[in-house]
Amino acid sequence: MNKTIIININSIVFHIEEDAYDTLRSYMIDIKKHFGNTAESKEILEDIENRIAEMFNERIQTGRKEVINLEDVQQVIQQMGRVSDFEESEGAAGGEDFHHERQAGQAPHIEYVGKKLMRDPDDKMVGGVCSGLAHYFGMEPIWTRVLLVVFVLLGGSGVLVYIILWIVMPAAETRADKMAMRGEAPNLQNFKRSFDEEAKNLSETFSGTGEHISRSARTAGNVLSGCLGLIGKMIAWIMLIFAGLNLLGLFIFYVFNMMNFFGLENPMFFPPLKGLSTNDGIIALTFGFLAIAIPFFALFFWLTRILFKTDKLNSYLSLTMFAAWIVSIVGIIYYCIATAQDFREKSTINVQKDIQPQAIYNFAEKDIRVLDASEQDSLQSKFNVQLDGQDLRNYLHRDISIYFESIDSLSQPYIQYSYSAKGRTYQLASERAHNIAYEAIQESSTFLFPSHFLLMKNALDRDQQVRVTVYLPRGARVRLQRSIEPKVRDISYWECLNNYPEEARQQQKYTEWTMSGAGLVCIQKPQPTPKEEEEEAVESKMKALLNEIKDRKDSVIRIGDSDVTIEVKDNSVRINTKKQEKN
Amino acid sequence: MIAENTQTQMRKGILEYCILSIISRGEIYASDIIAELKKAQLLVVEGTLYPLLTRLKNNGLLSYTWKESSSGPPRKYYQITAEGQAVLSRLDITWKELVFAVEISMQGRKD
Repeated sequence: MNKTIIININSIVFHIEEDAYDTLRSYMIDIKKHFGNTAESKEILEDIENRIAEMFNERIQTGRKEVINLEDVQQVIQQMGRVSDFEESEGAAGGEDFHHERQAGQAPHIEYVGKKLMRDPDDKMVGGVCSGLAHYFGMEPIWTRVLLVVFVLLGGSGVLVYIILWIVMPAAETRADKMAMRGEAPNLQNFKRSFDEEAKNLSETFSGTGEHISRSARTAGNVLSGCLGLIGKMIAWIMLIFAGLNLLGLFIFYVFNMMNFFGLENPMFFPPLKGLSTNDGIIALTFGFLAIAIPFFALFFWLTRILFKTDKLNSYLSLTMFAAWIVSIVGIIYYCIATAQDFREKSTINVQKDIQPQAIYNFAEKDIRVLDASEQDSLQSKFNVQLDGQDLRNYLHRDISIYFESIDSLSQPYIQYSYSAKGRTYQLASERAHNIAYEAIQESSTFLFPSHFLLMKNALDRDQQVRVTVYLPRGARVRLQRSIEPKVRDISYWECLNNYPEEARQQQKYTEWTMSGAGLVCIQKPQPTPKEEEEEAVESKMKALLNEIKDRKDSVIRIGDSDVTIEVKDNSVRINTKKQEKN
Repeated sequence: MIAENTQTQMRKGILEYCILSIISRGEIYASDIIAELKKAQLLVVEGTLYPLLTRLKNNGLLSYTWKESSSGPPRKYYQITAEGQAVLSRLDITWKELVFAVEISMQGRKD
C-alpha cells in the first residue's frame, strides 16, 4: 500500500507514488538549477516537462497500471538524462553561449541552502522537537534535550515552549522535507544518498531484528535510554492525571460559577467575580477558564499523544485554541485593569441622626438573616421584599464598624453614619455610596444595629463600607450586648467582660460602660486574682492579731501546735520552748 | 581526458549540424529527432536536445508549430526556416571541407 500524490504536468493529471514524486521533484529542481532562470531556460524546462508527461502517459495503461511509481520515474530520468550528462555534453562545447549558461546555472549550486526548522520523526523521544532544533542549529540532539530538561526543571517553562514548538514546527515527513531539515540541497545526489540510507536501514531492520535487540541490551547507553523512557513514561502518566484532574476541577468550578450568574444559587462562588456585573462576570469567568484550561488541555492532549500514540490535533483547531488563549489572556488583563480603575476614587457620605437621651443606652446587633414572624413590618420585611429570600450573599455586606465618641454632658446624643464606596470617578463612587441602605433601629432604650447592609439597585461590590459613630454625652451609661461585639472598634469588649466574676461570665450577655472624656470605660472593676485574695486574708488576720495583743496588758501566745510560746509581760517579751521548761 | 574532451567537442560541433539536417527533411517531432540521433549514436539522453533546439529556434534557424496528439498532450513539431536552410547549406560546404581535410590528414596512416 502506497500513498499517491496527484500531480499536474502540462494540464495532464498523473497519480504518482510519494517516493516517486520526491525523486521527480528533486530531479526537476536539479534541472531548473542547471539551466538557470532565463526566458530561454523556461522554454527548455517546458519542453522537458512536456516530454516527461508524454513518457508517463505512455507508461499508463488504463485499468492495469494507473499510478506512476519510482521505477517509472527512474526510467524516465534515465531516458531524459541526468544533469551530469548535460554537463558532459555541454562542458566541452566551449561556445560562448554555453559558457554564459553554465555560469548562470552554477550560481544556484553555490547558493546556501537554508535549513528548515522541522520536527524529525526518525529521531524522536516525544515529538521530535529537540532533534529538529538540533538539526537546525547543527548540534547533537542530546544538548537540546538537556537544555529542555533544564528549562522544565526551572519553573516548567520548558513544557510550554515544547508544546508551542510542537504545534508550530511541521514534521519532516517526506524525504525532501528531511533533506531541507538537515540543510541538504534537495538535489538528486543528496536525494539518492538519503534514499539509499533509508533502504539500508530498512533492510537492516528486517534482517537483523534479533541481533538488534541483543545489541541494544548490551549497550549501556540503550539501557539508560530505556530507563529514562520508563521514568519519562511514569512522569507523563502523573502529569496526565494531574492535568486531567485540573481540567475536571476547572470545568466544575466554571459550571458552578456560571450557575450563580444565571440565578442558580450554590456555594461555589469565586469572590473576585463579585466585583463585576453579571454580563462582565460571565465573560471574565469564561476568559479566565479558557486562559487556564487551554494550557492544561494542551498538556493533557500532548501527553495522551505520547502515551497512546493518538493523532496530532488538527492544526486549525490548535491554532484556534492558541488564538483563544491569547484573547483570553488579553481579556483578563482588560478586566483586571478596568475593575481596578473602578476602585480609584473613594466617596463618603455622612448622615446624622439624633437619638433620645436614655438612662441606659443599650446596643445590640440584629441578625437580619434570621426571620421573626412577630416582626413582619420591621426592617426585616423590607429586606425580604427586595431579596425574596434569594441572592442574599450578593446583596448583603458586613463591612460595618461602630465607634463611640463622647460629647458634652448636656448635648443631644446622635449617631453618625458614614457610607463610603469606590468608583472610577468620584461621582460614580458617591452614587454607589448613596445606594447603601443601613440604619439602626431604636426599640425603647435599645438600639439595634442590623448585621448587614444592603446595596440597592444591584450595585457592584466596590469596597462599600459603613462606619457608625455614636456620640453620647459624658457620663452616659452604656450597655453593649455581646452580639454587637464584632462590630465595635477601639474598645475591647472581651477585656471588660473578663472583669466580671468568672462564674457569671458565661451568663453575662452584656458589658456595662460609662462614657468618659476619652471614650467608653468599663464600669466593672477588675476581679482580684486568687493569689491576691489569699495574701489579703493573711494580712487581715495578722492585723486582727496585733490589735488583740495591743489591747491586752500581758498574754501568752502559743504558736500553732509547736511547743514555742511567746510571753508578753510588762513591756518585755519572753520566748519559751518546752525544752527550756524541762531544763 | 584530452581525448574525451576532443571527442565531446567534435560530437557537439556536429550535433547541431545533424539536427538541422534531420529537420530539413521535413516537419518532425522532438522525440523522433532523438530516435534518429540515437540511431546515429550521437545522442544518449533526451535532455540535451531541448536546450539545443531552443537555441536554434531563438537564432531563427528553426520554427515550430503545436499539433494535437492522439495520445497525450499536444506536441511541438519543428521545421527549418529559410535562414536555417541557408545556414545548413553553408554547413554542408564546411562539412565537405572537413571530411576532405580529415581524409587528407589520414592518408598514409598505417592502421
